[in-house]
Amino acid sequence: MSTASVARVDTPKERKPRRWALYFLVLPPVLWLFCFLILPYLGLFGQSFLQSDDLGNVIVKPTLDPWKTFFTKELYRNTLLYTFEVAAKVMTLSVCLSVPLAYFIAFKMQRGKQLLYTLIIVPLWVSYIVRAYAWKIILGREGILNSALQWAHLTDAPVDAFLYSEWAMIIGLVHIYTPFVLMPVYTAFEAIPRPLIEASKDLGAGRITTFRRVVLPLAFPGIIAGATFAFVLTLGDFLAPVLLGGTSNLMISNIVQNLFGTSNDRPLGSVVGIIMLVVVVLLLEVTARAEKSYASLDSGSGRFGGAR
Amino acid sequence: MMRFVYSLPLAALFALIGAGCAEEKKPDANAAKPAMSTQAAATPSAAAKPEDPAAKYKGQTLQLLTWEGYADPKFTKGFEEKYGVTIKFTYFGSSDELVAKLKSSPGVYDIISPSSDVAYTLVQGGLVDPIDTSKISSFADLAPELTKLDDVKKDGKLYGIPFTWGPDYLIYDANVVKEEPKSWKVFFDAKYKGKVSLWDDISNIYLIGQVQGLDKTNQAALYNMTDEQLAEAKKKLVELKPQVRKYWATAGELNDLFKNKEIALAVGWPLTVGTLNKEGLNLKGVIPEEGATGWIDRLMITSSSKSKELALMYLDYVTTPKAQALVFDATGGYCVANAKAKEHMSDELKKSPCVTEGDTYFKKLNFWQYVKDRKKYNELWNEIKSAK
Repeated sequence: MSTASVARVDTPKERKPRRWALYFLVLPPVLWLFCFLILPYLGLFGQSFLQSDDLGNVIVKPTLDPWKTFFTKELYRNTLLYTFEVAAKVMTLSVCLSVPLAYFIAFKMQRGKQLLYTLIIVPLWVSYIVRAYAWKIILGREGILNSALQWAHLTDAPVDAFLYSEWAMIIGLVHIYTPFVLMPVYTAFEAIPRPLIEASKDLGAGRITTFRRVVLPLAFPGIIAGATFAFVLTLGDFLAPVLLGGTSNLMISNIVQNLFGTSNDRPLGSVVGIIMLVVVVLLLEVTARAEKSYASLDSGSGRFGGAR
Repeated sequence: MMRFVYSLPLAALFALIGAGCAEEKKPDANAAKPAMSTQAAATPSAAAKPEDPAAKYKGQTLQLLTWEGYADPKFTKGFEEKYGVTIKFTYFGSSDELVAKLKSSPGVYDIISPSSDVAYTLVQGGLVDPIDTSKISSFADLAPELTKLDDVKKDGKLYGIPFTWGPDYLIYDANVVKEEPKSWKVFFDAKYKGKVSLWDDISNIYLIGQVQGLDKTNQAALYNMTDEQLAEAKKKLVELKPQVRKYWATAGELNDLFKNKEIALAVGWPLTVGTLNKEGLNLKGVIPEEGATGWIDRLMITSSSKSKELALMYLDYVTTPKAQALVFDATGGYCVANAKAKEHMSDELKKSPCVTEGDTYFKKLNFWQYVKDRKKYNELWNEIKSAK
């Protein structure tokens, strides 16, 4: 769309943009995507039907074994389900943190709005590893949290349960992915025309009713987008389990890493990769549809199309 | 838009992993990665000038692909000066990385330093050349326990020269564990619940096999366990999970676990004990009654090397007692293959466990061997980690 309009600006006399200009503009990204996205995935897909030897060489000898292994071994199914569970927890917590915060920044802050927003975004520029290690320092046996608890005489001995557990992993992930949720949610709140809220109040709705029936539905696409970020990013994470997780918090990406990096079993690794890709694409498709059906203000065609 | 935003953090993650891996081993900051140097053109047969061996190689370059620290200038300099050659090196971080690098760039590397778990694979895969041991002047001095092993022999020829070795033994914090543990079973002691750390590696399966005495009659049994034995090992390792605080992934992580008093018992390498005791900890390492597994790093000449003669001379040089003493110093106390190196060590170094207890180590260690069903072992280890 945008490319077409750019071309139109260049040649205002013509009704249709020139073909060659269109090709010229579209070709580089298409080539890029083809070479670095489509081709590798095709390679991965093809590889998933092959075998490998001890040296990690892929042998061109068609087989369905890698797929069978994935679908018959409990390890892969259980790990995938567990990964979904963790992702759902991270998503829920991130959304629960982001919505009130974004609401506060968007509606209640008068001055310093930009500053606060920036403060929340700034951690994105701090390396993942540094933030994970910060949590190690906070949650560790001799960490800040344990020292504080002992100082306050709430516990007499250090609590081991904080670090190297599922919750440590989830806290770390929530911390890391919350800005990704906050951004779209905040943008959605900001985009709500203030007169609508005033109208709601004029019509007798209280604060809570206004939030529930006007603000929240209008911000829903943003919340869905944010939740998707948190969910999908967690699905692909493999550092948090290594750095913060305990002995039972293996996620699916750790298995992919192991299959490619340690076991040299590329066909099986490809199978897991393809499955993850399909899962993520399906998720994005579903959430995109959900976003569309809730997005209403502009088109008037969505679920809340009656707003006008 | 979405895909773009999604790819950003991912790219950042991948960059970080690189950084994370790089920090794990001993720092050697000035050890920059070598550029793919052009090999000095020289056909050994044509340039044969027996009267002056040093001049013959002048200006040539030798490319090493080794574990971090195995190309330290402390000991490579002597060779460079003797023959007027340059030694360039690339470090690898895991056995699998070694295999990957070697396969993807044939002809680049002359010498590699694989551990015993992939050595067999490299020999059988034809990636390395046999070594003429008559050209290695110190060969007879190298520990027979290491040179007699069959895994790097094919058709009666030897493919790897032992360089360094060491145990995966039991490390304990002597301030917490007052009595020296006699057995690996101390890991199951309720007193130390949540105080144990294991290496995040399939070697735990060997360890459990050893605790159960599978290797009493045949050392290779640990590396060729039957399905029932593997199932039993899995059961034991899952049972052990509540005792385990964390599976450590890098030596650096193990150091942190001990330093932060998260753990009191672990499987580890002598390097950890040496490093942390210098920082004031009171760690001790012991080989329990069941024994322990051990690793050997050997030097091999790649079959794609263009400077095989010079590579052989490097092997000759680096196994001499004097060079081995320097290796011992540079690596911070990895056991070296040549026992005569002791004569060239400082008094302080002579006190390190590899020197004083070398013989005991050999008696009690079961050196890693090629695992035929490595995939199955790896899958089992993943199953153990995912068990709830």
